[in-house]
Amino acid sequence: MTEHPEYNTAKKAWESDVEKTTDRFPERKDQFQTSSELEIDRLYTPEVADERYINELGFPGQYPYTRGIQPTMYRSRYWTMRQYAGFGSAEETNERFRYLLEQGQTGLSVAFDLPTQIGYDSDDPMADGEVGKVGVAIDSLKDMEQLFDQIPLDRVSTSMTINAPASILLAMYIAVGEKQGVAADKLTGTIQNDILKEYIARGTYIYPPKPSMRLITDIFAYCQEHAPKFNTISISGYHIREAGSTAVQEVAFTLANGMAYVDAAIEAGLEVDQFAPRLAFFFNAHNQFFEEAAKFRAARRMWAKIMKEHYGATNPKSCKLRFHTQTGGSTLTAQQPDNNIVRVTLQALAAVMGGTQSLHTNSRDEALALPTEESARIALRTQQIIANESGVADTIDPLGGSYYVESLTDQIEKEAKAYMERIQEIGGAVQAVEEGFMQREIHKSAYDAQKKLESKEEVVVGLNEYQIEEDIHQDLLRVDEALEKSQIEKTVQVRDERDQEAVERCLRGLRQAAKGSDNVMPHIVEAVKAYATVGEIANVLREEFGEYTGM
Amino acid sequence: MMKPIRVLIAKPGLDGHDRGALIIAQALRDHGMEVIYTGLRQSAIQIARAAVQEDVDVIGLSSLSGAHKSLFPKVMTALKEQGADDIPVIGGGVIPAEDIPFLEEAGVAKIFTSGSPTKDIAVFIEKLVRKETLEPPKKIAHIGIAVKSIEDALPFYQNSLGLPLKGVEEVETEQVRVAFLKIGETMLELLEPLQDTSPIHTFLEKRGEGIHHIAFEVEDIEERLAQYKSQGIRLIHEEPKTGAHDSQIAFLHPKAANGVLVELCQPKE
Repeated sequence: MTEHPEYNTAKKAWESDVEKTTDRFPERKDQFQTSSELEIDRLYTPEVADERYINELGFPGQYPYTRGIQPTMYRSRYWTMRQYAGFGSAEETNERFRYLLEQGQTGLSVAFDLPTQIGYDSDDPMADGEVGKVGVAIDSLKDMEQLFDQIPLDRVSTSMTINAPASILLAMYIAVGEKQGVAADKLTGTIQNDILKEYIARGTYIYPPKPSMRLITDIFAYCQEHAPKFNTISISGYHIREAGSTAVQEVAFTLANGMAYVDAAIEAGLEVDQFAPRLAFFFNAHNQFFEEAAKFRAARRMWAKIMKEHYGATNPKSCKLRFHTQTGGSTLTAQQPDNNIVRVTLQALAAVMGGTQSLHTNSRDEALALPTEESARIALRTQQIIANESGVADTIDPLGGSYYVESLTDQIEKEAKAYMERIQEIGGAVQAVEEGFMQREIHKSAYDAQKKLESKEEVVVGLNEYQIEEDIHQDLLRVDEALEKSQIEKTVQVRDERDQEAVERCLRGLRQAAKGSDNVMPHIVEAVKAYATVGEIANVLREEFGEYTGM
Repeated sequence: MMKPIRVLIAKPGLDGHDRGALIIAQALRDHGMEVIYTGLRQSAIQIARAAVQEDVDVIGLSSLSGAHKSLFPKVMTALKEQGADDIPVIGGGVIPAEDIPFLEEAGVAKIFTSGSPTKDIAVFIEKLVRKETLEPPKKIAHIGIAVKSIEDALPFYQNSLGLPLKGVEEVETEQVRVAFLKIGETMLELLEPLQDTSPIHTFLEKRGEGIHHIAFEVEDIEERLAQYKSQGIRLIHEEPKTGAHDSQIAFLHPKAANGVLVELCQPKE
């Protein structure tokens, strides 16, 4: 066999990118070595690279990005360690954020409570009992100001797990930045903003699919102009997997949803190469180590091909699948919770082997309650140990070339593609969601998995084998039940003190825009600055768009 | 044929996690129950109304958002307002163990936390719903003592202890002769084998004389055996047979009761 003629061209392109990158982000060390002082190369490639290698694997930072989206990957910078946190009041969460930043965390990730995620104020009857439970309660800009108090928004990137009311919380973030003297075009971060997976798996939808898709494209258009460094969507397989899908389904449904957003944006008149670089992804990492690592590699290759071949994207950034990973919450057991630290370690390692851009490692007690500070610290330390002590970050795509991993990567791509073709036949992801296709497929997989657990065909340590008698866990984090009352009082006070006329004027403007086809975002930004609440803004849109009531 | 148990699976509050609820719903269906799933974001009053309209036998609540301490009691109150507080309620989800007493205090019959096998839940529901007819055993009907010869044994029990002899009879199905001695509310039953094929003969060969079994007085013996069987309890007799005094009797396997041979005994009416 001889070297493929394009091999040297491709290699040169990579090497020149490495040079450019290392100018800006020098590698962590001048020389990487093992404990035995063996030198570690930046990249290992086949002795003879054939056509398949050039077309399907290539070099890191080069199409189709199977081996990673950056030319030097973790040799320059580790992934972003980003722990999802939020509970109770804005003040409490602010304290936890500052604690995590002091501990070496490099990005923030905000968890909102359910009323905020579904567009209800804390004093709405629907919010009863839920305020501050699974995340922080945000009603007005006042709460958001407290949430980011003393956190410079030009120096941290913030990821917000917010979907149906993403436009409102993004507007608040922009407003807080402005108050800190940070212009919107300096803000970095991500809003989840992925409504399709809410219908499929996560359940915090508000409006029907069509107006929801419009809100999303309005955000794309607004950010393209005003907040170009902000990731406008995080297309999420995480929750699809948590709902019980297989790894293949996770890839297939996520990428199918991704295509639906690209289609919607193009239909709204946006240029692919303008908005596609701001699309981000969010995947899960479960226990089957090799399959998970292969899954990330397959997803990256598939998205690159879709963007280039299907949408004709020419900007390389449009083709790079950047993703955040969270370890699998549903793999954790309430039994013998310390075992979960080991599961999380395996899953985190798979995400790193798969080339993730950022990572949340779950805390050991998440099957029992929200994490305590100690558990959250161990979770962060797990990532730091992998980064600093294991050496896995010293060479790029260390699993690349493994017969097994490459075969798994190919097979996941093939199976996921077949699923995506079925979704295209149904009429695309929006239609498939409305018909409940993905929901049914996921439920089937989830039920099969449960039966395998109960028959012990699959063993989960501590759950169906190796059980022990356990005591009640005392040191769980409990949200103070008095919080709901004080949050309501705070919001009532905000309503009393604000300029009511200004609020009403802004909401009227928003209503007009919603009725027509004007972008709603500028109106929402104005409304939050006037201290209109999440519930008030969401309710205007409820009245105009209607509500989704489920399958 | 009993009519199938009807179950309402409900998601109170704003929580969107319904993987567990859907799996439980399907597992109960596979168990022969009729299951209605409410979908997400149901208020307490919606759940109570649905339970009444659908005429369900039991309600299963699922919550993973941490709001169970506020939401579950609200459902109990709403059921009371609808005059339907006779419908038992069970719950599941991410619920810390120390919250369980509070929820049970509020009237929730049982909380199944993460990792509970679906079969246990189905069995519990069956027990819960059929409970009107299935009371726990009321008393010890008798204690059976295997003896080589009733005549040789009687003097101690009858004369030394002074227990009154209530009668001696032969039980053909078990190939034994039995003597009943009354002691307080219950009896001692001396059993003597009639033939070498009698189970009492085998017992005596293996272990010698001694306590052979404990009999519990029960009602609805047939239904009870069916229920035990569905729970995976090992039975010697799946159908009752005729015992002394024309009572209906059946034995459970000693493995089911920690090495004790248990007889269920339903007296003739």
